Amino acid sequence: MTTTRQPPVPAARPGPPARRRGRLRTFARGRWLKTIPGRIRASVALLLALLALMGIVLTVAVGNARQGVQTMGHDAGPQVVATGALYFALSDMDAQVADVLLIGRDHGLGIGHDESLRRYEQRRDAAAQAAVQAAQLAGQDAKRQQNVRDVLNGLGRYEQLAGEAMLLNDQSGHAAGPPPGNVLRVYRQATDLMKLELLPKAYNLTLDSGATVRQSYESKRAAVLSGRAWVVLTAVLVLAALAVAQLYLARGFRRTVNPGLALATLLTLVLAVAAFAQLSAQAEHLRVAKRDGFDSVLSLSRARAISHSAFADESRYLLDPDRADTYEQTYLDKALAVLYVDPGQGKPVNLETYYATLDRDVRGFTPGRARFLGFFGDEAHQVRPAGAASDALGQTLRAYLAVQQNDRRMRELAGRGDRAGAIRLRMGTGPGGAIRAFDDYDRALVSLSETHRRGFDAAIAAGDGGLRGWKWLPLGAALVIAALILAGVRPRLAEFR
Amino acid sequence: MRLSRAAAALLLALSSAGCALESADAGSVVHKRSLVIGVKADQPGLGLKGPDGRYQGFDVDVATYVAGRLGVPPSRLRFRTTPSSAREQALQSGAVDLVFATYSITAKRKTQVTYGGPYYVAHQAILVRDDETGIRNVRDLKGRRICAVTGSNSWKRVTEERKVAAVPVDTPTYGACMDRLTSGQVDAISTDDLILAGLAARGGAKIVNAPFTDEKYGVGLRKGDLAGCEAVNRALTEMYQDGTAAALLNKWFAKAGLEVTTSVPQFEGCS
Repeated sequence: MTTTRQPPVPAARPGPPARRRGRLRTFARGRWLKTIPGRIRASVALLLALLALMGIVLTVAVGNARQGVQTMGHDAGPQVVATGALYFALSDMDAQVADVLLIGRDHGLGIGHDESLRRYEQRRDAAAQAAVQAAQLAGQDAKRQQNVRDVLNGLGRYEQLAGEAMLLNDQSGHAAGPPPGNVLRVYRQATDLMKLELLPKAYNLTLDSGATVRQSYESKRAAVLSGRAWVVLTAVLVLAALAVAQLYLARGFRRTVNPGLALATLLTLVLAVAAFAQLSAQAEHLRVAKRDGFDSVLSLSRARAISHSAFADESRYLLDPDRADTYEQTYLDKALAVLYVDPGQGKPVNLETYYATLDRDVRGFTPGRARFLGFFGDEAHQVRPAGAASDALGQTLRAYLAVQQNDRRMRELAGRGDRAGAIRLRMGTGPGGAIRAFDDYDRALVSLSETHRRGFDAAIAAGDGGLRGWKWLPLGAALVIAALILAGVRPRLAEFR
Repeated sequence: MRLSRAAAALLLALSSAGCALESADAGSVVHKRSLVIGVKADQPGLGLKGPDGRYQGFDVDVATYVAGRLGVPPSRLRFRTTPSSAREQALQSGAVDLVFATYSITAKRKTQVTYGGPYYVAHQAILVRDDETGIRNVRDLKGRRICAVTGSNSWKRVTEERKVAAVPVDTPTYGACMDRLTSGQVDAISTDDLILAGLAARGGAKIVNAPFTDEKYGVGLRKGDLAGCEAVNRALTEMYQDGTAAALLNKWFAKAGLEVTTSVPQFEGCS
């Protein structure tokens, strides 16, 4: 037996307070260890110290899991998603302005002049609200605060320019189609301000706060996993010490089993196994909430915002013939960001090859084995086949294809010189109209995002539920185990009185 | 003593395992004391290696600024020539830590490289002789002779992507293009405006400010270095906020009459 030569561990739990100098001296010399009660007391002290260590390690690990779930599920996570709304609201403001300018005096075209204005104001309020969220999220970070302020200042300037463009547009009373030059000159300033300054800053804000969530996720999850390893280690030490104590008492006192120590051993084992399982489950809940929930919701909200912005580029393409080439190019760039297809070696990447390759790749799509990249490519690689998300993705892709087919027809009409026909198609809200098809696509995309949202909420709820009992459990269990140890050893010590 | 020694060994093993778990971003550029940066050696204004072996240009200056924000001073920076074809390989093998080399972000490349930035969005534009008045946008290149640099895709963006029937004239380098432009053997050079600005600085030519593509110049990082990518993005945000970006853009490109954007570009997102 090695216990007889255990080193003194007086630091964690000093023996009985020294009442007399003589006792202290005896203690310091270590002579007390040579007596049997001394050895028993030292072993008990060691056991309790190890137990306390296990309790502390477990409490810290559970605390980390709790903080992780809190940050991801209740604080930063939802707030980051809310700042994503900033980009969407801003880009949709400019989309509404483009539509108002394009339809001119034909107020009934598309969703109508008044409805566009109403949406414009609604988006402006939403943008202001999202900016407040972003400012809260930025906290004391001066650079991020600066970024939010820049967005708000820019928004003021944008509103002024957009208002001026719409006023000049009303005054001109032009028919549907390109407005007069003075309107376009002001609108170009507005849309350039939006594209070059406001939208990038809004986008970067969301990315940056998303980065904070990622870092906190990585560090909390790693802390939970290493906490789990520490719980196992300390539990093994406690169990080993209990076993040794059991053997020592069995030999020294000729008794088979010490019931107190045996119960303590059993309880420690149960606690360790339960803690291991709980911490593993917590790490998994965090992973699911982050990867399948948060990441997907965020990237789909970006895909949605970029899609709306691309749809508005169609209006701008019809609105501003001098810049039609540029708007066609930005449309293509945005389409590629949402769903990238590779037209193949040696073929140019332009809208013509995009439509053709898109058709082929989307029709031949099976979940988990997509040939395309971009936001939908990431999504396609991630979703499990034959799930709710997979169905929603399939529907979204089909709707996206319909949107691109309308784009192709619209550009063909415009290319042939039938601008009126192109505008009718683009502003069509009935069957076969581009707005109708886009709305279908938007709904499919939102419901796809909802499936991830539900997954996120479920993972967070599971995380919360799992942790509910664990606030006092480590301490309570440790106290019970300690009491069992003391109860087990006490009668043996009493034999020496 | 045996038990305690065994316990100590176990403790040590587990604690080192714990540390390994905690630094998930081990090997990230944020932890490096010195950095090797891949740049171009033959692009005036962006990355050009001088006869003294020193590199200079916008890419070099931006890289130096970003490295500084990552805590690496110029004295611990090394630049290495990284041609277009070798950029992914150089990052994967660890030959370079970061790439600042007119490295356009594309969805395809994103499968192999993690991109910080873009630090600038360049646009394909057109360079013509000073006295040229007939070319105002890409469609005016119809029937005109444009430079087709070997290995570059830029001219195809005019003739194939845009289907403008320009006449490509094969030329080995952009430097040679410039000679042919001034001597009247070609009518226009079309490629990224920042590259054109570097060429235009030699005189005799002007940029037609009618950009028709977006080229997102990203910072290449080893695939998966998200912590590094986020740190690079924060550095770039600062570079624009504190006015350094505007100063650098003016320093390298304003002379050529290029309209530069001095507001922070929309980042790609780290993945």
